[in-house]
Amino acid sequence: MFRFRLDGSSGVPPYLQIVHQVRQSLLLGYLQEGDRLPTVKDVSGDLAINPNTVVKAYRQLEHEGLAGGRPGQGTFITAAPAPAPPDASGALRASLEQWFRDADAAGLNDEAVTALIAVVRQDLRKEKVS
Amino acid sequence: MTHDDTGGSVPALRTTRLGKRYGQLWGLRDCTLSIPAGATVGLVGPNGAGKTTLLEMIIGLRKPTEGLVEVFGHAAQANTAATLARVGYTAQNHPLYPDFSVADMFHLGQAMNPSWDMALATGRTQALDIPLKRKVKTLSGGQQAQVSLAMALAKRAPLLVLDEPVASLDPVARLEFMREVMAQVAGGGPTVMIASHVVSELERLCDWLVVLTHGHVQLAGPVDDLLAGHQLLTVPRATSDADLPGVPIHRTDSDRHSSVLLRTSPAPLTAQPNPDWQAAPVSFEPLVMAYLQRPFRASDSGNRTQPTGPTTKVMSR
Amino acid sequence: MIWVSWRQHRSEAMACFGLLCALAVYAAVLGLSMRSSFGQNDLATCLVRSQGVGCPNSVAAFDNSFGSLVNIGFWAVLLLLPGLIGVVVGAPLLGREMELGTWRLAWSQTVPRTRWLAVKLAVVAGGLIVLGAAMTLLITWYRVPMDRLTGHFIHNAYDYEGFVFTAYILCAFGFAVLAGQLLRRSIPAMIAALVPWLAVRIFVEFALRPHFMAPLTLSQKCPCGIKGGNGMVDVPPATGHIGDLIVSSGGTGNAQLTFYQPASRFLEFQSIEAGIFVALTLAALGTAVWLLHRRAS
Repeated sequence: MFRFRLDGSSGVPPYLQIVHQVRQSLLLGYLQEGDRLPTVKDVSGDLAINPNTVVKAYRQLEHEGLAGGRPGQGTFITAAPAPAPPDASGALRASLEQWFRDADAAGLNDEAVTALIAVVRQDLRKEKVS
Repeated sequence: MTHDDTGGSVPALRTTRLGKRYGQLWGLRDCTLSIPAGATVGLVGPNGAGKTTLLEMIIGLRKPTEGLVEVFGHAAQANTAATLARVGYTAQNHPLYPDFSVADMFHLGQAMNPSWDMALATGRTQALDIPLKRKVKTLSGGQQAQVSLAMALAKRAPLLVLDEPVASLDPVARLEFMREVMAQVAGGGPTVMIASHVVSELERLCDWLVVLTHGHVQLAGPVDDLLAGHQLLTVPRATSDADLPGVPIHRTDSDRHSSVLLRTSPAPLTAQPNPDWQAAPVSFEPLVMAYLQRPFRASDSGNRTQPTGPTTKVMSR
Repeated sequence: MIWVSWRQHRSEAMACFGLLCALAVYAAVLGLSMRSSFGQNDLATCLVRSQGVGCPNSVAAFDNSFGSLVNIGFWAVLLLLPGLIGVVVGAPLLGREMELGTWRLAWSQTVPRTRWLAVKLAVVAGGLIVLGAAMTLLITWYRVPMDRLTGHFIHNAYDYEGFVFTAYILCAFGFAVLAGQLLRRSIPAMIAALVPWLAVRIFVEFALRPHFMAPLTLSQKCPCGIKGGNGMVDVPPATGHIGDLIVSSGGTGNAQLTFYQPASRFLEFQSIEAGIFVALTLAALGTAVWLLHRRAS
């Protein structure tokens, strides 16, 4: 049976952690098409979380096309995830990587980068409004 | 909600203006709740807030001074077999008879409850490697809690009430206990109400929330709805409460800015009305803490259908 | 619910059984010893023929051997015993449930608490009645030879032979159950029940008992103070008949007036005194049940 892990202090909601772990395992090959995911009862009893959280996670996976439920039988992996982000953002990704290298060279740490992004975003928003 | 045979939906628990007075003091006042079947409810509040009083009236251990309690549509009458049969209960500190063996405790449960499921009780304890012949006083705190829980579950009542079930347990025992409860809930089991003042643990367990302070309900509703109905706004210090698009629950003022946890007006705001403001969603623990710290006002009864504050300015786009 | 009551009081029942066995051993040893001594002295015929007047030396010898042990010692030790049994069993019944908080467990099962209490009281009181009766029988048997000298009416015998011993236990039990409920603690309740029980016990025995019924009067010509025997026990008493209870006596010049209760009234007196204590028991237990009912609803 596939076992999930829960990090209570990570700040990531439990249902998202479940979704991430399924995606991750698919990428690494630990979960394959046709595998059955553990029942809602098993997961909630294993992680000590509300069953609705598991239901939410499994619905998200269904929405993303990664899993599907078969009535009376459980939830099964239906497809492998898309391997790479679409090409359209390839150029964006490259310029972002360059910008991060520049910021690092300028001596900005992670917090300064995050603050800078927030300020710029806010200013752009103001521009849009006025 | 589940539906009963008549096609309507019967709430697992409904209280109507429930109150209890001890001498001159009201331990609980004006408590009105409607909790759907299948929910796992977290009841949060500081010690002395009225949690135990509320639970005892639900179980049938105490008679209300005013108001009504209904469990699955049946009015609860204190100290009658019919009422007592409907709720499974573990009290704070898991009282058990120290000289009884685990098997004796289950025998007691069977003798005193017509609906007793002995197979469930013994099955659960054997799965946890708790020997039936051991005396209760020789068990660890965690094991005693599990026996107590098994007794409440084996009663097969549709509503399960747990009063501070993990307060005295070490972290491993806590996890084991909550695993049991969640597995039972997931298996189409009882509606559960957990009273606790450990907010962080309730987050992963509960899909419904009731916040109780000073004997009054401050907040009640499904967790998802409550989180969607609140926002954390960062605003300039000069912004007054009246200008905010909702009811400020908790406000932290700094020199130049203020952080406000806001209960937004019923219509959720899709566009940011004021570009100077930063909005962020609220997570479970900050939401509960804000309501717990809110100074007591008898006039508002924290119902999520309550209308917003004094004025609501319509913001220009 | 009967099993539950039994199981909760099982260790107390064992202790009481142990007590009964210890008493049986004591009674057997001393009782047999008294019987053989009695037979050797040929006291039986003397007592029948002359109520002990004709054999003062034999009476004195028997009294010296067993008098202080059986009459004084036994009575002093056992005076408190029915009270102790009653409070030790009664105080924790409600007191310990409150102390441990197990009332929240006991009264949230599907049995309303008044029914819970009523069954418990019935089962435990029933057990105490059986214990009291067994102890009474044992003591009555072992005292037979001494009773031939003293009769049943003197307090050393009266307190243990008949209905009153069991009634004393029940009264202490009733007081202790109520005390446990009011004080919510076991040990303080034992003391709070034992003290009034002892007060009632002594008051009834020494102030009320001689006057349950109007005493009879015997007037005798002097020389005054006709008594027999030399020890702790007057064989026979001033009325000349073994088994009568002397209430008081006084002289009026040349006649001695003796106020007494005849031996034949023994059972009536037992019934009256037992009735007093049983009434107190029912009042205490009834109050406990009523209080419980009132607090719950």
